[in-house]
Amino acid sequence: MRHAAHFLRLVALLVVAVVGFLFVRSKLVPQDFGVKGHFRLSAIADEAAREPRHIGSDACAECHDEIGNAWKAGKHRTPQCENCHGPGLMHTKVVAEESTTAYPDRILKIRLAIRRPTGIVECKWCHLRTFERPSTLKSIANVADHINSHTGTFTKDSKCIDCHNPHTTVVTVNAKGVPVPPKIGP
Amino acid sequence: MTTPRSPDDVSRREFLGTVAKTGGQSFLFGSLFVNTALLRLPQDVATAKAKQETEIGKGVIYGFVVDTTKCIGCGSCARACRAENNVPDGYNRTWIEQYTFYPNGEVVVNSPVGGEAGFAEPPTRNMPAELEKVQPVRGFFVPKLCNHCIDTPCIQVCPVGASFKTDEGVVLVDKERCVGCGYCVQACPFGSRYLNPDTNVADKCTWCYHRVTKGLLPACVQSCPAEARIFGNVSDPASKISHILATNRVQVLKSYLGTRPRTRYIGLDSEVI
Repeated sequence: MRHAAHFLRLVALLVVAVVGFLFVRSKLVPQDFGVKGHFRLSAIADEAAREPRHIGSDACAECHDEIGNAWKAGKHRTPQCENCHGPGLMHTKVVAEESTTAYPDRILKIRLAIRRPTGIVECKWCHLRTFERPSTLKSIANVADHINSHTGTFTKDSKCIDCHNPHTTVVTVNAKGVPVPPKIGP
Repeated sequence: MTTPRSPDDVSRREFLGTVAKTGGQSFLFGSLFVNTALLRLPQDVATAKAKQETEIGKGVIYGFVVDTTKCIGCGSCARACRAENNVPDGYNRTWIEQYTFYPNGEVVVNSPVGGEAGFAEPPTRNMPAELEKVQPVRGFFVPKLCNHCIDTPCIQVCPVGASFKTDEGVVLVDKERCVGCGYCVQACPFGSRYLNPDTNVADKCTWCYHRVTKGLLPACVQSCPAEARIFGNVSDPASKISHILATNRVQVLKSYLGTRPRTRYIGLDSEVI
């Protein structure tokens, strides 16, 4: 064969190309790709490793036991703490961390790590009347009308929590039958 | 006058052509037999396998039931999801749709900011002006989320193997592998996926995989005050979801597409799309 040398050169080139391809491929494709399917197996563990941000109402009640017990015994036990207060992970982290911060600043830091509900926006999420809501859910069509029909004291700063305790739904009235602001805080 | 060609006498063009053809064919044919698993270090595969088998419970198949008859449209699920999963503004992994039926047969569907800000306060209702004063005849809320289909259109189209399904039936995205091409976003007939503008990769509801593998409920299920969302292990006959599925008539979204969703709905109306 006159052209044997040509063949050899090309075959050598081919071998180099194949080996090179396989080498590059083995470097680029993750080691655990394709073990259980056409994906990277450790991606499952990566996703599962994320830290849950909602800690659950039971975790809240471990410290805030008084409010927790009142909430559990009351009519408002289905909405969870974090529905209105936001996720509690940062709050618990700030509480747990070793801190040299002086007393008032530390309390402020702990308070800032959790949402302080406005006391009217959160209520409206569920309790503002709309046609699609089930009639069994207590709802009002208009905040101003509702307050004025009871006490006639509606202002633009009026809040639901001026009369209703959001944790128990209880309205406390004084001797004259006028609602008094409920004690809500910790 | 041409002299007769000897068998050895081939032109350069012919020679290169033949070599390229046979070479290409044998390369393609040979590559069929190259098992890429041989290129991996055996201990890596073993560790990865062992890691998965110990970490994730065997025989668990997750299921999700949405009871539309109980939903009050408060939006707690959507807010909890955003906080739990760091969903960027303008995108939703779960959202609530409000269906309102009018006497003339018109159906108005609304989902302002995914229902996160509530539904009742104006101007959330977006509807034809002539219906403003008409009293609706019927209405309900339908929460939506990823259906975690058994026959997923989104995994099929992924060109890099970044979308996959776990043994528990949860459809996930590998954020390291995803190249952000957006094919899966277009392939999903339920609009469950989006391209995250912060990470530039596809993102979707994971049924809070990071929570459920730790024994917690998904954030939306935990936050639902009306028990409209039920999550659990459908392969366990004693679980709550198995009881719900055994005692209710359930339906899936867009069953005609044949994607076989694992998210099932109670009280789904034919108008719901």
